[in-house]
Amino acid sequence: MLPEDIIAAVNAVFVEQFEIDPADLQPEKEIFRDLGLDSLDIVDMMVGLQRTFGISLRQNEELRQIVTLGDLHAFFLKLVEENPDLAAKLQKK
Amino acid sequence: MLSLYLYTSMAFWTVAYLLVCALPAAVCLLLPVSRSRTAFRHLILWYGNIIVRIAVWPWIRVTYDSTAPSDESDVGIYVFNHRSASDPFLIAVLGLPMLQLVNGWPMRLPLFGFFARRCGYIDTTKNNYEESRAKIAAALMVHAPVASFPEGTRSGSRNLNQFRSGIFKIAMELRAPIHPCCIIGNEYIPDRRFRFKAGRIRVRRMPAIAAEEAAAFGNAYLLKQHVKTLIQAEITKLEEP
Repeated sequence: MLPEDIIAAVNAVFVEQFEIDPADLQPEKEIFRDLGLDSLDIVDMMVGLQRTFGISLRQNEELRQIVTLGDLHAFFLKLVEENPDLAAKLQKK
Repeated sequence: MLSLYLYTSMAFWTVAYLLVCALPAAVCLLLPVSRSRTAFRHLILWYGNIIVRIAVWPWIRVTYDSTAPSDESDVGIYVFNHRSASDPFLIAVLGLPMLQLVNGWPMRLPLFGFFARRCGYIDTTKNNYEESRAKIAAALMVHAPVASFPEGTRSGSRNLNQFRSGIFKIAMELRAPIHPCCIIGNEYIPDRRFRFKAGRIRVRRMPAIAAEEAAAFGNAYLLKQHVKTLIQAEITKLEEP
């Protein structure tokens, strides 16, 4: 699975859950400050990402360090690299 | 012209209200934090009613009714659709000193921001999920009703945008009743460029969803979809010609 596909899958969550214009989903954008999400939106973001990638992110401490969309892309790129079965699941969707 | 008149009227009534409540507000500042916040929320409640019932009358007429049982408890989380910047003022017609969830910028407004902070409004951009939930829990413990706009931002139209799940997850975790409410007629009062049109606005409180009923949905997503459906149905009924 190509990195662009993983990034597209992450971005799709923001488009579907928050109706954000895809053109605004630039890696340097901060999730809270620039994309307009607040702390309560984390619920929908996590649910969307968990559904998309088929994993639980509940106890994942690395997520607390994420500030920008690019950080989130990097997190999932690393996650898929370390878990090849995730890539297979995503390709099936 | 109407916008100019209404802004002038609102400014006049705001100054008049500040003069009248300067002393009570100063006294409120001296109270213990929890009582001070409750007192400031009452001050804001009265201010909101002055603005929506006096300052903009008769060009903008606001009516309120409730289909909830008359003996229903007022405690819980109130969920409103969000068409316009006037919504945070309009919720005053429910007659309840609400603690509002806001998404940052209202806290930075001159004057209004001061009162928002004194009221203990919850800035969901500054508080993380756990902090927001703890503050909502604290408010509910002292029977302070909480107001939320789960669309997250103004729709600026008659459309009901997607609801965010966060407040519903909190309601389920805290076992708080949810009070769906709808506001119609204010999509252009003011519009997204803050221009006013004359019109009639209706605010309606609907029967609450008890904690047990909310829990039966199993997750916040299904609960939010249910509440959104209820609000949409009520809006449709109210907007029927």
